[in-house]
Amino acid sequence: HSDVKIAAGAVVCVESDIRGDVTIGARTVVHPKARIIAEAGPIVIGEGNLIEEQALIINSFPENILPDAEDIEPKTMSIGFNNVFEVGCVSQALKIGDNNVIESKAEVGRSVILSSGCIVGACCAVNTCEVIPENTVIYGSECLRRVQTERPQPQTLQLDFLMKILPNYHHLKKTVKASSTPARS
Amino acid sequence: MATLLQPEKVLYLVRGEKKIRVPLSQLYFCRYCSELRSLECVSHEVDSHFCPSCLENMPSAEAKLKKNRCANCFDCPCCMHTLSTRATNIPAPLPDDPTKTTMKKAYYLACGFCRWTSRDVGMADKSVASGGWQEPENPHTQRINKLIEYYQQLAQREKLERDRKKLARRRPFMPQAFSEKYGLGTRLQRQRSGAPISALYGLSLKEGEDQKEITIEPAQALDEVEPLPEDYYTRPVNLPEVTTLRQRLLQPDFQPAGASQLHPRHKHLLMKRSLRCRKCEHNLSKPEFNPTSIKFKIQLVAVSYIPEVRIMSIPNLRHMKESQVLLTLTNPVENITHVSLYTCEEEDPDDINSTAKVLVPSKELVLAGKDAAAEYDELAEPQGFQDDPDVVTFRKSNKIGFFIKVIPQREEGDVTVAFKLRHDFRNLAAPIRNTEEVEATSEAIWLTHHVELSLGPLAT
Repeated sequence: HSDVKIAAGAVVCVESDIRGDVTIGARTVVHPKARIIAEAGPIVIGEGNLIEEQALIINSFPENILPDAEDIEPKTMSIGFNNVFEVGCVSQALKIGDNNVIESKAEVGRSVILSSGCIVGACCAVNTCEVIPENTVIYGSECLRRVQTERPQPQTLQLDFLMKILPNYHHLKKTVKASSTPARS
Repeated sequence: MATLLQPEKVLYLVRGEKKIRVPLSQLYFCRYCSELRSLECVSHEVDSHFCPSCLENMPSAEAKLKKNRCANCFDCPCCMHTLSTRATNIPAPLPDDPTKTTMKKAYYLACGFCRWTSRDVGMADKSVASGGWQEPENPHTQRINKLIEYYQQLAQREKLERDRKKLARRRPFMPQAFSEKYGLGTRLQRQRSGAPISALYGLSLKEGEDQKEITIEPAQALDEVEPLPEDYYTRPVNLPEVTTLRQRLLQPDFQPAGASQLHPRHKHLLMKRSLRCRKCEHNLSKPEFNPTSIKFKIQLVAVSYIPEVRIMSIPNLRHMKESQVLLTLTNPVENITHVSLYTCEEEDPDDINSTAKVLVPSKELVLAGKDAAAEYDELAEPQGFQDDPDVVTFRKSNKIGFFIKVIPQREEGDVTVAFKLRHDFRNLAAPIRNTEEVEATSEAIWLTHHVELSLGPLAT
C-alpha cells in the first residue's frame, strides 16, 4: 500500500523511514535511519545518490499554511543524480540538480534551488529564496561563498562499496520494477 | 548550575604595576617573591618555534631565515585552513613508448574546509608529493634587500659614531689609567649592544672593515600613471572573484584583488613561550622543548598554591535583605592550611566594585591537606575537625563549604561582593640558607588576597 517506488539496483535499508509518495532511482543508496518524508507532495529522487544516516529529506508544508486550510497543489520535490546528503543534514529544497553535496548537519530551506555542483558546507543553514549558481561552495560559520572551478566528483567508489557491503548487514526494502506493462495479446 | 562554576565569577586582585582582577586559573604565583603575578606583570620570552600542523621543531636561527614559516605545510589562501596533498591518477605517456599510456600519480593541494584546490589558481599538478610547491616570487625582493643592507650599514655607522662621541666626551673626566682599568667594562658593554669590538683608539680598523660602500639609487618618481580601464565604473562586480580584506592582507607582498591570484603560502610557525617574574627574574612557566608534549618543566601556577574560592549556590537576592550564599574553599597544597576571611574596610582603595555588604565567618577555617590517594580510600577516617555547623556546611577531603551573608545595597544591577582572604603559605623553595640549618621546616608566612565575587542579578 505504500507508494514508495524503488527502482531496481537501488539499495534502501529497511531501517530507513520513507513515507509518502517517494520514487527512488537506480544505484541510489539510502542508509539506515535516513528519513525521506513526502508530506505535502511527492518526492522523486534520481540515480546515483547517496543518502547517509539521519539525513532528512522532507517535502513539508510551508510553515504559515495549515495543511487543511485550502486546496494546496502538491508540489513535487525533485532531486537529480549523483548528489550526496551527508549525515544529519536537512534538505527541504524543492529542486536539487546534480552532483551537489550537502555536508553534515547542513540545512537547506524550501525556497532554495540548488543547481549543479554546489556544496553546502557542514552546519551551514541556507534559507534564502534564490537559485544557487553552479559550482558554488558555501562554507564557514557565516556561510561565506566562493566558486570553485570544477564540480565535486561523483562518489562512484563509495557507492559501489556500499552496494556490496550493506546487503551483508541489513535487510533491504523490496524494489519495484519501473512500470513495464506486460504485453498481452 | 554549571554557570556558577565559571571562572569569571571569582576574581583575585593582582597588585602589580597595574591593578588587575583576574580569575585564579589565569594567574601565576612567584614563590620567591610570594606574590601573585598576572600575564601583564611578567616578561614573555620565546622558547622554541614549531609548526602547528606537522609539529616539527625549528631552531630560532632557521626560523628567522625562513621568515617564521614552515617548509612543508601550506595554508589555504581562502579560509586559512591547513592544506592537504591529494593524489589523482592521470594517464601519461610512457617515456619509451609514446603510444602507450600509463597511470602516473599527480599531486595537488586541497582544502578540506572550503574545497579550494591548487588547480583553482592555475597551479599545475606536481609529480612529487612534497617539496614541489613554490611560493611566487615577489618582483621587488632584490630592491628591498638592497635597501635593507644599505640601511643596516648606515645604522651601524651611526651607532659607532655615537659611541665614539660618548667616550670622547668622557675622556677629559677620566684619567688615562682609569680608562685602562675600566677598559674591559666598556668593551663588555659594547659586546652586549652588538656593535663590532674595536679598541678605543683603533678607529682606523673600522674604516678598513667596510670596504664596500653600498649605495642605492633613489626611487624614481613617475609622472605618468597607468590609466584605469574604460569599463571600470560600468562593469558589474563579480562578487565571488573579489578577495576579502583578510585574504588580501595575509599576502602583503601581492595583495591580489582577484581570487584567481590567491596563491597558498607556507604556514606560520607558532612558538612556545616562557614567563619570567620581573622583580626576581625567576622563571614562572617553562614549557618542554618537544612540541608534542604539553607538560611544563617549571609550572608555578596560582591554583597549585593559593586556596580557591568557588560559588556553590546562590539564593534569591533581594534588596536590603540578608541572604546566605554557599561558597567552597579548596586547598591545593598537601599540608593543612588555615584560612581567615575579613571584610574590606570602609575606605579600602581596592574595593571599588562591590555593590553589597558582606558578613564573613569570623572564625578561622581549617582546610585539610590534599591527599591524592584519598579518593580511592573508602574507609576514610573522619578528619576530626570541629566545625561550627552554622558556618561550615560540609567537608570533603581538602574542600569545605561555608556560608557568607550578603546584603545587596542597590536596587538594580548585579550584586558584587569583595573580601580579603588570608592564608598561611609554607615556602618550600626557600632561598639557599646556611648549610648549618639542615632541617627544612619552612616557616609559614601569611598572605592576604583580595577576592571579588559576582553573584549575578537580584531576584525579581
